[in-house]
Amino acid sequence: MGIGPSTKETSMHHFRDPLLDVVSADEDIDLLGIIIVGSPDGNADKLLVGTRAAIWAQGMRADGAIISADGWGNSHVDYANTCEQLGKRGIPVAGLAFHGKNGKFVVTNAYLDAIVDFCKNKDGIESNVLGENNMNVKDCRKALAMLKLKMRKSDAERGV
Amino acid sequence: MADIDLGRLVIRAFDIKSVSWGDEMKVTPQGEMIISKSMLPDLVSSMDTIEAVDIRLIQPDEHDQWTNTILDIIPISTKALGVVGEGITHTLTGVCAMITAVDTEGKQCHEFGSSEGNLKEKIIFDNPGTPSSTDVIISFDVTLKAGMGQERKGPYQAHLLCDRFLQVYREQMKNFDGKLCSARNEFHNISRPGKKRVVIIREVAGQGAMYDMQLFPHEPSGVEGGRSIIDMGNMPILVTPNEYRDGILHSMQ
Amino acid sequence: MGVGPSAKETSLHHFRDPLLDLISSDEDIDLLGIILFGSSDKYSEKILTSTRAAIWAQGMRADGAVIFCEGSGNNHVDFANACEQLSRRGVALAGLTVIGKNGQFVVTNDYMNDNIIDVCKSKGTVEPCIIGENNLSYDDCKKALSILKIKMNKNKS
Repeated sequence: MGIGPSTKETSMHHFRDPLLDVVSADEDIDLLGIIIVGSPDGNADKLLVGTRAAIWAQGMRADGAIISADGWGNSHVDYANTCEQLGKRGIPVAGLAFHGKNGKFVVTNAYLDAIVDFCKNKDGIESNVLGENNMNVKDCRKALAMLKLKMRKSDAERGV
Repeated sequence: MADIDLGRLVIRAFDIKSVSWGDEMKVTPQGEMIISKSMLPDLVSSMDTIEAVDIRLIQPDEHDQWTNTILDIIPISTKALGVVGEGITHTLTGVCAMITAVDTEGKQCHEFGSSEGNLKEKIIFDNPGTPSSTDVIISFDVTLKAGMGQERKGPYQAHLLCDRFLQVYREQMKNFDGKLCSARNEFHNISRPGKKRVVIIREVAGQGAMYDMQLFPHEPSGVEGGRSIIDMGNMPILVTPNEYRDGILHSMQ
Repeated sequence: MGVGPSAKETSLHHFRDPLLDLISSDEDIDLLGIILFGSSDKYSEKILTSTRAAIWAQGMRADGAVIFCEGSGNNHVDFANACEQLSRRGVALAGLTVIGKNGQFVVTNDYMNDNIIDVCKSKGTVEPCIIGENNLSYDDCKKALSILKIKMNKNKS
């Protein structure tokens, strides 16, 4: 559960966030903003806040969403639900998360088909080394490329 | 349709060339930073969960040393004009702050896994979230009262103590002559009508002591004036790209 | 300050909200959603929450906003700031609130002129303490929406 040192995102990480850099620089994308959502303790709260995030995104008429989580284990419960809530609302979603060997999804659903695993540790574990299992520019580019593909598919399906 | 500019943020970086001990707390736009421990006793006595704090200056060739578990790496930034997300920010490069914490019983302040050990093995340097290998690290080594590492207030006060210490430097940085900056970056919130509308959703910590996120501080990457996402019920909050990149979040993990 | 009985919006009022009815049924409008924010008792929080609402509306790329403020007096501090923050971000604006004779704005700014509708119905100068008297009516909402449409058209051109 929770976050270990290797997946922790420091204040410095947020200051130099590669995901924001990649998405905001892409001229094909109108970046509406960054939704920050907490990962609470209780299961009911997890489902509530993630669903609220998806409803916001729909209210924003988002064509797509990229979602990241800075932890794993029980944080993936919210994560999987948020992906599902987005997907059910017709919003294509790509994501970034830590999986490796010990962070496999504890729950799963049909909307988790475009998730980039940013595990860097070669044994696939929470190594307790600060910054090791953080997302980098390459991970973010990959997620954005997957999102673009999904958005294109969704357009084609809707005949847009 | 043409792009629309929704707002501008300027970040001026001042490169710090030397960080050393002295009698006063001082930073200059020419790149000299002097650290003094003189205000630490007052800071410690104002925090009821903190037993003691020590500061270490870790030069780039001194990574081969013990560290307690790392709570955060923090850029030292301040608003010279405007509020977080707009106007002008002054930030220091070549230096960053680090918070570590342990309690009087020797228990590391951690949640799931802790990073105490030899510093050179416990940080992957040169990542977005970690110091550059050439940075001087101002390390705040906090000793919490027994058991306080597992209560929300303990790590919060460790972050607050560091924030108040850095504020002394921030006040000086506000008055830096912009012309003396070593790099100037300009960021725009751009709306691109007709292009794919995308949001970034960031699920962040919201469960307790080391698992928290502070939003809306007065200063970039600051603590004071902010509020915890836990206290806001972990509800989703939208921030603009420029607010995000200016430091409207402070990791309490 | 605050909300008196005549301006109070009951749960039943929210259940049958005329503002939502009107706007959601207008085929010229893409209603993105309803943003709720609380009117706090602390000044700094009033500014924070109303600014966040405006930032969110801008993130939604809203062309316009109808803003309603329950009550008057100190609640108008948040209201005025929301009006200012929305307008400064280029979001066209119409507002609804109780003004009447005893709810004159405690603060005002350049963004609150002909675009604010007074929903006060009572004639006297005091809060009449009658449930429902100063609630917003369907006509108030129509006025606000037509003001908003004019403002949005102006912004477009």
